[in-house]
Amino acid sequence: MKERITKTMLVAAFLFAPFLGMSQSNYPTNAQTAQRLQKIASDHSQITKLESLTKTDGGADIYVLRIGTGDVDNKPGIVVVGGVEGFHLLGTELALQFAEQLVGEKRSALDKTTFYIFPNMSPDASAQYFASLKYERRANARNTDMDRDGRMSEDPFEDLNNDGHITMMRVEDATGTLIPHPADSRVLIPAKTDKGEVGAFKIFTEGTDNDKDGKFNEDSEGGIFFNSNWSYKYPSFQPGAGEFAVSEKETRAIADYLYDRWNVFAVFTFGPANNLSAPLKYNRSGATIRVITSILEEDQKVNAFVSDMYNKTITQKNAPDNSGSDGDFFQWAYFHYGKMSFSTPGWWAPMIADDKDNPDQIPNTDKNSEVNFMRWAEQNSVDALVEWTSVNHPDFPGKKVEVGGIKPFAMYNPPFEMVADIAKEHTDFMVGFSAMSPGLSMVNERIEKLDNNIYRITVDLKNTSVLPTHGELGDRAGWLKRIRIETGLAGGQSFLSGRGITLVNSIAGDSHETMVWLVQGKGNVTIKAGAPHTGYITKTLNLN
Amino acid sequence: MKLKIYLLSLTLVATAMFASTDAQSQSSNPEHFFRAAGTPHNPKVNVAWNRYYSPSGIADIMKKIAAAYPDLAKLESIGKSYEGRDLWLLTITNFKEGNADRKPAIYIDGNIHSNEIQGAEFSLYTAWYLTESFADVAFIKELLTDKTFYIAPTINPDGREDYMRKANTASSPRSGVIPIDNDRDQLVGEDGADDLNGDGHITQMRRKNPNGRFIVDPQDSRRMIAVNLGMQGEYELLGQEGIDSDGDGSNGEDRAEGYYDPNRDWGWNWQPGYIQGGAWKYPFSQPENRAVMEFAMKHPNIAAAQSYHNSGGMILRGPGAQEDLPTYDRADTQVYDIIGRKGESMIPGYRYLVVYKDLYSVFGGELDWFHGGRGVFTYTNELWTGYLMYNQEGGGRGQDAQYEFDKDLLFGDALVNWETYEHPMFGEIEIGGFKKNVGRAHPGFLLESDAHRNMAFTIFHAYHTPKLVIQSIEEKDLGGGLKEVNVMIKNERLIPTHSSHDLKFKINRPDYVTISGGPKVITGMVVENADFNRNTEQVQNPSKMEVANIPGNDVIHVRWIVSGSGNYTITVDSAKGGIVSKSK
Repeated sequence: MKERITKTMLVAAFLFAPFLGMSQSNYPTNAQTAQRLQKIASDHSQITKLESLTKTDGGADIYVLRIGTGDVDNKPGIVVVGGVEGFHLLGTELALQFAEQLVGEKRSALDKTTFYIFPNMSPDASAQYFASLKYERRANARNTDMDRDGRMSEDPFEDLNNDGHITMMRVEDATGTLIPHPADSRVLIPAKTDKGEVGAFKIFTEGTDNDKDGKFNEDSEGGIFFNSNWSYKYPSFQPGAGEFAVSEKETRAIADYLYDRWNVFAVFTFGPANNLSAPLKYNRSGATIRVITSILEEDQKVNAFVSDMYNKTITQKNAPDNSGSDGDFFQWAYFHYGKMSFSTPGWWAPMIADDKDNPDQIPNTDKNSEVNFMRWAEQNSVDALVEWTSVNHPDFPGKKVEVGGIKPFAMYNPPFEMVADIAKEHTDFMVGFSAMSPGLSMVNERIEKLDNNIYRITVDLKNTSVLPTHGELGDRAGWLKRIRIETGLAGGQSFLSGRGITLVNSIAGDSHETMVWLVQGKGNVTIKAGAPHTGYITKTLNLN
Repeated sequence: MKLKIYLLSLTLVATAMFASTDAQSQSSNPEHFFRAAGTPHNPKVNVAWNRYYSPSGIADIMKKIAAAYPDLAKLESIGKSYEGRDLWLLTITNFKEGNADRKPAIYIDGNIHSNEIQGAEFSLYTAWYLTESFADVAFIKELLTDKTFYIAPTINPDGREDYMRKANTASSPRSGVIPIDNDRDQLVGEDGADDLNGDGHITQMRRKNPNGRFIVDPQDSRRMIAVNLGMQGEYELLGQEGIDSDGDGSNGEDRAEGYYDPNRDWGWNWQPGYIQGGAWKYPFSQPENRAVMEFAMKHPNIAAAQSYHNSGGMILRGPGAQEDLPTYDRADTQVYDIIGRKGESMIPGYRYLVVYKDLYSVFGGELDWFHGGRGVFTYTNELWTGYLMYNQEGGGRGQDAQYEFDKDLLFGDALVNWETYEHPMFGEIEIGGFKKNVGRAHPGFLLESDAHRNMAFTIFHAYHTPKLVIQSIEEKDLGGGLKEVNVMIKNERLIPTHSSHDLKFKINRPDYVTISGGPKVITGMVVENADFNRNTEQVQNPSKMEVANIPGNDVIHVRWIVSGSGNYTITVDSAKGGIVSKSK
């Protein structure tokens, strides 16, 4: 098994590396991200627009790459966002490869849709992946007091075993509440006192208790988490959330950009949340209260349908459940921005079945994700573990203290050679989705001549997509324009019934709205219908 | 003789002219005045408090106050409005003693809603009264020595200008002036109100119609009343003055500016527009509020805040929404209640109320952010109440009293009389009704007294921001060269250095109590109960004790164990309580 997967991976890497024409062999630094964006923009200047919306406190650019043709502002828009978490470098790479494919072989998707790609919203944090001291950083470079005690950064991490990674530290202690997992003693789990188990370990992040408050590394260099700074279920005053919602340059930059683009109807986020492997659950009581906490019923059906598409396109299965976290971007995009919002981590360690033929193996009965991850890493020869080794720790004199555990970033970012396959599948999926962008057509037009130069005009305005023009919440939230139908008369014509302007709130997927006007007088009647996110269509009818 | 009279009258004319053009010289002759208690009778800055001021008029008065009292008032612009007007703020304190930005402070603003104008005059009156009274009133002198007042009379000058200069009702605009497509029809501001008769007021339209349900009130011809069922009417009411500019079948559905609500834009429990009407993009997405937020973030010494709205005669506290009930817990509510009830007794016709249950739900209001986001005790006063028309409850009994009040006391100045107008869609109609400066704004003759009363309430609030004193420093010999140093620190006022909501979320840093000088600090502790020896020791850096809170009207006890001798100084440094020190 182990050998076979490795071989497949090698073949895949061999096949795709020259095909993509890139020298990238690891996740991109901020400089490499910028170079690749600039290359796309300069090689395809007719269909792209690259902008830096702001510079972070750490001096990094927040880029958006618009890819589109024709009247880009009046075509359905899809937003693709990577790097909502600084430790998720895969998201940035997936967004970049999506852009690279979109200007290449997937270019026909631009006929219908405009794409807005934000490869990395946490560049200050993701830079930690390339730093000499690596840890899973979420925070931008704003100077904050993480534990709100009035003292700045008084308790940072320390690399006790000098391996360049911040991992964990376990301490044998009679007051500890943890025990080794039966299937893998390298993983600690809570002792079940009600099952007679007795705790023997404590666990901390790697470092010393610099301020002697009994907490370890609770106040490192500070900063705000992009994915905790949004207004839906904003986690007030929690570490990394900031002083109020949407307080950061990064969050405001993308919000301001999106609020100005009325054509956007859907947002794809590469991040920890996942409503693509399995859709969000509809909860009636949460959907019918004032401050809603559940996806609305009609929108849930759309989510389920799109999730089905995802699972048909993406080979990975059994994703861990994650319906989002408080103050995250993905939920904001639905609950407050009012757009269809989809999120996937892009990759997760697949669930490794217990080896029934191996009598030495103790089954992972509770499907512990760390135990599973270590099994996966071993089977695939992925160097993801720092073995527990003893250190002398000044805060625990005379105690056995070991440093080790899963390396930072390893659980969220697969070995880079696996990324090309993942990117290809996700690109296929998103391009497939974009083919269902909302659109309108006018069908069944009828002109009935009544007596004496009076005409009855009937037109069915059809939504050509299987998705609704406006989601249930989208119609409520107010960040999609209504469909406007302008009926222009020639000189000498007048309405006997109906008006020059008609507004339609929403047309369900594969449905239509019948429009009727009563007009007196001969000549051409021009009907223009649309909204920025559906595009516009025009039809001229001759009354004679 | 004739010549003499001529000369005399010439002098009088000249004096009068001079006085009216130069306020300074008018005030320079104390022979002309006799002090009425409670009012600066000979002010350096003369202001008529029976009229309203435009944004430029307000800025002008603020500049005069700052120029007249350089040791008491400093003027700054805290930012720019959407249309580029300065957002002026006066800092009022005794600048000669202490650092203004380290004294416990109150922040005061008005006019966040464009049409709610008198908050600006009330705020401005406060700045004027404080500076003009400093020399004569001992209480004010002490107040300005202890406290700082940050006063921003209008935080919405664009909307104020719009309300005063353009065609509006008493209720419009509430929004700021950023153009928004309210009805999502893809056009912005395509159908606003239309001042058809060009009088600057948007009033009502009526049309003669035998099927209408209204007649002219036989007691007051300006008033329309509904007829009872089964009776014949004479008029139909067509709503507010206007035309359907965009031909979409509704009238005035998309104002030229707005609609969004500046008081739904604040960063505590913010909710989007479909939950909280008027919320815009995200907290502080409006430049005026952003400027206030940035000012407040830079001034953690703000311990109290007041915003002036209209109308209804209310002293409001949060929470704005029932979902936010836990934000106002018992301890904080007790403080609010004491100050709020005092306010009720000081301002006739005003009631102390809670926004979410007595008014309506507000998510993302200014007072919610000051309390929830900054831990600041905050009230909103809804200025003007019908009570003030006849000084009795029920004075606001609908429009009855309004018409009566207009006749009795305003002599008809409140109304536009019905006049015919040829409307492009409705044909011959009549236009008339209440002017925009009636119903929500005070009539001129009632402005000053209500401003004074509301100010007095706000001064009471400011007075009760923390006042810290080091009550005693006592030593106890422990033998072996060691001694205990016991320090008692009192907060002499009602408001704690940290609201209990602040403590829950650690919004503001702890208060620091520091010992510096000769002795060596072995350890330090906060004594919770001296009799039972119940203490909380601080292991790290005990010479700088971190005290979570100094409660209102209460004492805390800090103890150090020290060795060695020499003089030392105790310093209490509190973000909202100021700095005090004492040496021994």
